[in-house]
Amino acid sequence: MDNPSQYWSLAQAINTAASRADNRQIFSAMGAQRPGPRELALMLQPQARAHLEQMAARAKSLTARHFGNTVSLYAPLYLSNYCSSGCVYCGYASDRKQPRRKLPFDAVARELDALKREGFEEILLLTGERTPQADFEYVQACVRMASELFPQVQVEAFPMTVDEYRKLNLAGCVGVTLYQETYHPVVYDMMHRWGPKKDFAGRVSAPAHVLEAGMRTVGMGVLLGLSDPVVDSIALYLHAEEFRKKYWRSGIAISFPRIRPQEGGFQPAHPVEDRLLAQIVFAFRIVMPDVPLVLSTREKPLFRDGMAGVGISRMSAASRTTVGGYAGAPAEDRGQFEVSDRRSVMEICDMLQAKKIEPVFKNWDAVYTG
Amino acid sequence: MKPLVLGDLEFQSRLLLGTGKFSSSAVMLEAVKASGAQIVTVALRRFNRERPSDDLLGPLMTLKNITLMPNTSGARDAAEAVKAARLARELCGSRLIKVEIHPNPHHLLPDPIETYEAAKILAADGFIVMPYMPPDPVLAKRLEEAGCASVMPLGSTIGSGNGIAAGGLLDIIINNSNVPVIVDAGLRAPSEAAAAMEAGCAAVLVNSAIAAAGNPSAMAQAFAAAVQAGSAAYEAGLMARSTTAAATSPLTLFLG
Repeated sequence: MDNPSQYWSLAQAINTAASRADNRQIFSAMGAQRPGPRELALMLQPQARAHLEQMAARAKSLTARHFGNTVSLYAPLYLSNYCSSGCVYCGYASDRKQPRRKLPFDAVARELDALKREGFEEILLLTGERTPQADFEYVQACVRMASELFPQVQVEAFPMTVDEYRKLNLAGCVGVTLYQETYHPVVYDMMHRWGPKKDFAGRVSAPAHVLEAGMRTVGMGVLLGLSDPVVDSIALYLHAEEFRKKYWRSGIAISFPRIRPQEGGFQPAHPVEDRLLAQIVFAFRIVMPDVPLVLSTREKPLFRDGMAGVGISRMSAASRTTVGGYAGAPAEDRGQFEVSDRRSVMEICDMLQAKKIEPVFKNWDAVYTG
Repeated sequence: MKPLVLGDLEFQSRLLLGTGKFSSSAVMLEAVKASGAQIVTVALRRFNRERPSDDLLGPLMTLKNITLMPNTSGARDAAEAVKAARLARELCGSRLIKVEIHPNPHHLLPDPIETYEAAKILAADGFIVMPYMPPDPVLAKRLEEAGCASVMPLGSTIGSGNGIAAGGLLDIIINNSNVPVIVDAGLRAPSEAAAAMEAGCAAVLVNSAIAAAGNPSAMAQAFAAAVQAGSAAYEAGLMARSTTAAATSPLTLFLG
């Protein structure tokens, strides 16, 4: 779309039209041959909540069809919590009284070793917004180190130029995650008080830069709770669908972060309860049957267990959201958000196997990278 | 049944199995055994030498009388597929390679141009090349000329269970091929596998329909029986199909 605020306005119009739907229309959306934004909106309406069980059944069968009886596992690795932005909801915002750390390369190596010993083969390297402490060259160097050990390395950091993404790709990074947080331009402006992340248009255009640079995947998502979660979900879908036709050699993945308690005590204006989050995941699975849907350890064990394989095809496990959390972060450090599922890798594997789902660690090979 | 000939190798079973998507490698191994398959395909990206519990190659190598056919799923172009094929040959010691190049990670449809390029290189390099391809009769001949040991047109998209979506094109491929035609992907029911064999396919490759079945081993057996029945029917020669009845009083008798 030409204007970045159009995702929200179009999503809002689609949602308004869907809000008048009756049961028959919601049922036909659930079984539509080629569902699109209209069907997504219909399945996200409050009146669709009565059909959650049917939506779950369809989501489960579509997940099995495209991903088999498997869930792939990855681990996040926080490289730095320096940040130059003032995101209201984030524990690492630049005004939080939080000890700031950046992993020196020897500590990065120790963290990587610790994760490798846990059995991980796919990792996500994270930083805050671009700072002199954790700049592009630092992230690039960490990617190089990680790709020596891990067949699949992805990055969730700050928006970069197409040229930087190309370099990151050459260094061994196959995918980049960049959440929009919200597509509501006014709420976005209020939530991002200062720093580079305040640039709404820049944030919206960043995922396209990832794909222009030839990355295999871009991870997208909204931070559920900041604005109307239904409208934000529809806007996210519209954004993702644009990429399907334009960047046909790449893929997308969708995550469903919702606001958790963190440093600063931010209370979301639109709290998303479990049933609504499940409804959003099921609806995305039905309209995007072949897209990886991701759930992190922000969520509680009971919820994660229930969602595994029922829409969700990819999960993080045994995550630490502190810098240096795997191989000895100071105990007083607070993470970017509170981890709700603190189970070990083995416990997650046991849970999946009990559900007759195979946990998959390696689903990629370095031969396809760079 | 006549053997299935691929390059200089011969096989009795005409059912090939995929090994992804199973709920555990134990379930996968049971299904492979139950199917009687002699060729199984396994993705290089699921080889994990460092963690046996996450590895698909190790368990498969313990099976007797199985020929591994590694595949290059994940490759986006010919260069990546060639690299992957060489690495896979080194790791599992099999010359069979399923060339699978799908640049789009969502619909997983094969790229005909890159597949052709990779097939030429790999055939010249001594591989027994098995290309996963769209059901395109011209591409099938081009791949045959490039030295492929078979062609593997898709029935429909991977995991879709939509059966043989372009039966007319598959017929043309079969009628014109000098190499075995193996339907790969899209089959849901044993009856579809039987129909493919009756139509003259040399073999079928099945994964999702078995992995996602309520009882994978039982479904593997059902597919094996269907493939045998379809193959026997083809060998026996099916009665010609006709849409009109044969007139009892010939209409052209007056012509003398």
